[in-house]
Amino acid sequence: MRGRMMSDAVQKRWGKALARWRGGGRSRAVAWVAGSFVVLLALLVTGCQGDRVQSSLHPAGPAAQTIATLWWVLLAVCGIYTVGTFALFFYAIFRPKQEESPQKTGNTFIMVGGVILPFFVLLGLLIYSVQATTNLRAPDTELTIRVVGYRFWWHVEYPDYGIVDANELYIPVGQPVRLELKSADVIHSFWVPQLAGKMDMFPDVDTELWIQADREGVYRGQCAEFCGVQHAKMAFEVIALPPKDFAAWVAEKQQSRPDQESEVFKQGHEVFMRHGCAGCHAIRDTNAVARAGPDLTLMGNRRMLGAATVKNTRENMRDWLENPNRVKPGVLMPPTEEISEEEIEALVDYMLSLK
Amino acid sequence: MDQIEQRDPELHAALEKTWYSPTGFPEWFSEVNNRPLGVRFMVTAFAFFLISGALTILMRIQLIVPNNEFMSPQTFNQLFTMHGSTMMYLFAVPFLEGLALYMLPQMIGSRDVAYPRLTALGYWCYLFGGMVFYASFLVGEVPDAGWFAYTPLSGRDYSGLGLDFWALGLALVEIAGIVAGVEILVTVLKFRCPGMTLGRMPPFAWAMLVVGVMSLFAFTTLLVATLLLELDRAAGTHFYNPNRGGSSLLWQHLFWFFGHPEVYIVFLPATGVVSAIVTTFSRRLLGYLLIVMGMIVMGFVSFGLWVHHMYATGLPELSMHFFAAASLMVAIASAVQIFAWIATLWGRKPPMNAPMLYTIGFVVIFVLGGMTGVMVAVVPFDWQVHDTYFIVAHLHYVLIGGVVFPVMAGLYYWLPKMTGRMLNPTLGHLSFWLTFVGFNMTFFLMHVMGLLGMPRRVYTYPAELELEFHNQLATVGTFVLAAGFLVFVWDFFRSLRHGELAGPDPWGGDTVEWTTESPPPTYGFYGSPIVRSRHPLWHSGPVPGGEEFAELAAAEVLGGPIPFRATMATDIITGKPQSIQYLPGPSYVSLYVAGGIVLSLVAILMQLYLVSIAGLVVAVGGLFYWLYPRQEVIEMLRNSEVGRRAGLPIITTGTRSTAWWGAVCLLIILGTSLAAMLYAYFYIQLYSEQWPQGNIPLPDLAIPGVICALLVLSSATFCWANRSFRLGKPMAIQAGLTTTLLFGTIFTIVQTYLIAQIPFSHQENAYASLFYLLSGYIWLQVLVGVVLLAVAQIRIWKEHCDREGFMKLHMQVTGLYWHFSVVAGVIVYAALHLLPHVI
Repeated sequence: MRGRMMSDAVQKRWGKALARWRGGGRSRAVAWVAGSFVVLLALLVTGCQGDRVQSSLHPAGPAAQTIATLWWVLLAVCGIYTVGTFALFFYAIFRPKQEESPQKTGNTFIMVGGVILPFFVLLGLLIYSVQATTNLRAPDTELTIRVVGYRFWWHVEYPDYGIVDANELYIPVGQPVRLELKSADVIHSFWVPQLAGKMDMFPDVDTELWIQADREGVYRGQCAEFCGVQHAKMAFEVIALPPKDFAAWVAEKQQSRPDQESEVFKQGHEVFMRHGCAGCHAIRDTNAVARAGPDLTLMGNRRMLGAATVKNTRENMRDWLENPNRVKPGVLMPPTEEISEEEIEALVDYMLSLK
Repeated sequence: MDQIEQRDPELHAALEKTWYSPTGFPEWFSEVNNRPLGVRFMVTAFAFFLISGALTILMRIQLIVPNNEFMSPQTFNQLFTMHGSTMMYLFAVPFLEGLALYMLPQMIGSRDVAYPRLTALGYWCYLFGGMVFYASFLVGEVPDAGWFAYTPLSGRDYSGLGLDFWALGLALVEIAGIVAGVEILVTVLKFRCPGMTLGRMPPFAWAMLVVGVMSLFAFTTLLVATLLLELDRAAGTHFYNPNRGGSSLLWQHLFWFFGHPEVYIVFLPATGVVSAIVTTFSRRLLGYLLIVMGMIVMGFVSFGLWVHHMYATGLPELSMHFFAAASLMVAIASAVQIFAWIATLWGRKPPMNAPMLYTIGFVVIFVLGGMTGVMVAVVPFDWQVHDTYFIVAHLHYVLIGGVVFPVMAGLYYWLPKMTGRMLNPTLGHLSFWLTFVGFNMTFFLMHVMGLLGMPRRVYTYPAELELEFHNQLATVGTFVLAAGFLVFVWDFFRSLRHGELAGPDPWGGDTVEWTTESPPPTYGFYGSPIVRSRHPLWHSGPVPGGEEFAELAAAEVLGGPIPFRATMATDIITGKPQSIQYLPGPSYVSLYVAGGIVLSLVAILMQLYLVSIAGLVVAVGGLFYWLYPRQEVIEMLRNSEVGRRAGLPIITTGTRSTAWWGAVCLLIILGTSLAAMLYAYFYIQLYSEQWPQGNIPLPDLAIPGVICALLVLSSATFCWANRSFRLGKPMAIQAGLTTTLLFGTIFTIVQTYLIAQIPFSHQENAYASLFYLLSGYIWLQVLVGVVLLAVAQIRIWKEHCDREGFMKLHMQVTGLYWHFSVVAGVIVYAALHLLPHVI
């Protein structure tokens, strides 16, 4: 009895609206649904406005450009097919009642719409896919950068120049760069959407990718294969410089090493060694040579800290050194324990001096 | 077949007594009937669905603003791992299995499924597997490597105890998946009612037939893959350990060889549901043949798509193009079905009730998901969107649109049959609009988020991605979506007491499930329905001729009181009656075996290896008790009058017997697992600089060669024994079987010795692990064969005159197993001992 009443209550509350939907409102419902899809599509397009740091729809190089074009073509082709299918489907449902249509017409309709037409459309897409893949083959490159993924940061090496860095790649504008990819532990994936698609990095298989930036700028990238607790904050930046500036950067960084005579080094390096930092990190031309953590030779030069997690400011550096877990929970670097105010200041000075 | 069955109280009581469904404690645990077990599957799966949905709400709250600190990254990783694993392993597959176990026999006019106790075993394994998954919360070690658990992240170096819960729980669920595959396959083939040719099967039955075959291959591969993972974790082998010669990519190949077909394993039944609904409300079905062909093509091709999950792993271009072609073309198989439904609905003015609305919602969402599926099949495009929110959007469009919406449609359609009560139409509309709108709010903009650079499986994102609005809309949408499902749950419980009575056929459906009362009696049908057309309730078909009268007579006998559980078994193609199939009643043996398996696996978790072995002994003992032929049953069937009255045999052999089909399925499972292990072996060999790896010497040829030759000889001696059995020469039978048994025993003993004498440890490197694995596998395979041979020999001593009855079947099944073991032995010898010398 109670249920009957409840049902009545429900009927009363919703029945009127329902009746409206049913009586002539059905086409309105369809219009409403179609309208919301248009709104959502509009939102989709708005995503393309403005400046974005990690968007595959804002390509800054030929590889990403090829794929972005491919996307718009795919959207157009699939969009037309979708709209056509929906139109047929809703017309089929809402058209006036019809006498039996012969089985034969039905089968022809299914064959054309469901087999023949899609076959040719898909064949076209397949040919396009093969061509685009071919176009994306690596061109001849002069510069090679070796990137090794670690949980949760990136080791970056310029074998031709003898520069070792981390979490930042400097590349010259307008030149294709070959990347040798490898992992030190689990599987990672190297991805800078504005420059190219992604490529996985394995501990046991070497992979390669090429990137090229056609504009000066900073392009954000991120690990795209789930690699453990801090997968989300395993990012990096690609900094594209005009060729001249890039050459200057290389020349400068090849010479980078700490000034062992300076006061900053003497104090800072002593703290560095005392607190066991050298157990994981390396600094060129010093007795710190470990490779478990990022190379710190160019630490003061980096734009970001903790694999592009926060800006490399004095304050952030201090926070990081005290307890990196606060900035990036799950990071493998332990907090620096029992460090005095003086010591940490000396260490921060030292880190920021490494350029 | 055009009228509803009338109840005869006396007969009803007699049948109820035979087919009773036990209640109370502990009898409840001995249930083997398909419908109660189907309900248990569905209820359990839906509970997991709701739990998993609750997890997503927590995740969406975390993602509502950038750099949110609502939960730790660790927690987020655990939640998305549990969400994905629950939805894929504990909801989608088991729910549809449950629906099939319940509905399939009803739709094809059978009283039960082919192996009732196996159904129960599947359910217990599934339930315990799910409990093991969630027990991880109790010890605070929740799996956190994703539902895909890529190695090496899921290996012992990077993941804790949580992954052991995951792997072992999954192993149990996979066993459930495999046995459900066997169950469904044989039921569709053998238990269709008289007259139901393959061409008259409802599309849902076709879908389940394809799914049954696919499950055998897909779940077995995953079972092998997870067992190798657990061996790596618990026993220190190196299959997936790149530091010791293993491969980090091998897991992905094995996993996706299962993982992609799995999508179709859940999608195909859903299309079957949609076909049923569209047919009923259009009062016709156009393009039946094309729909069926689409399903079969989908089933085949789905095994050739797995690499499209691995485009970004640096595989050779040509192989990627091959998989891209297959991935694009499989879309045709779906398009055919969509256009068949459009053609069917054309101008039929279907009523806008809840099943139909959910069907429409399915088409809209699934078409969009299919289109993004076509997009990601294009290799370079996938390089950008792979592992981004674009994929999150795509897979939810396909899985929620392609599975959950049809499931909801199916529930609104069939719940009146299952509960006997109608659901409330108003609440149905409300539930549909909430889920449909909520779904699109949640997932549509995720396409954009992926394109704009948001990767998957991140617990937070930086503000400079400017994706706050998108994420907020998605979070709000999740609540709307959840509200839609809760309205359904409310409606369901409301209807149980207060819903209108449904009657046998509330929708005017076309298939035979609508002939029984709602809910159907424990025995399903009185006798056996007879089907003369594709829509038996609409068109009764041609007037029965002479042959059909025989069918009628048989059905009539089946409808009378029979002292044991029986259903009609028919020809796998023509649906002509072949025999009366005896089915076992309630039994605890399934629970006992499942308990043994669980004990064995949970003990591995706790590293109590002796207990683990004890569990295994319990399980094997239970299986032996289960499968050992019961003399009293055999005598009862031999003396039964039923067969003579029905004009059909009760005791069958060969392709007429469900036991024979079960044995064939077992061989498919064993063959698939051997193939998966050999794949691992050759894959690692391909990527190794030297083979055998390390300083391990080449394997011995001589002694393994001799025992392999003995094995081949034993195949011949078994044939001799079998021939003597057919000719009725008792001494020759004994001689033949004794020789076979002798050869088999020599093989087992020598192989035991050889394994004990291997000069390296299984922890040496990946080659060593594989060598132990394959040697051990074939040892076990032959050992079981020897036991089966011994049983056959003991039984044939007394029963050698039973040349056309049970003993013949026994010899057939033993023969199938033994010959298969011999082939497997030769293959393993060639791969493990011979080839390393040649290459």
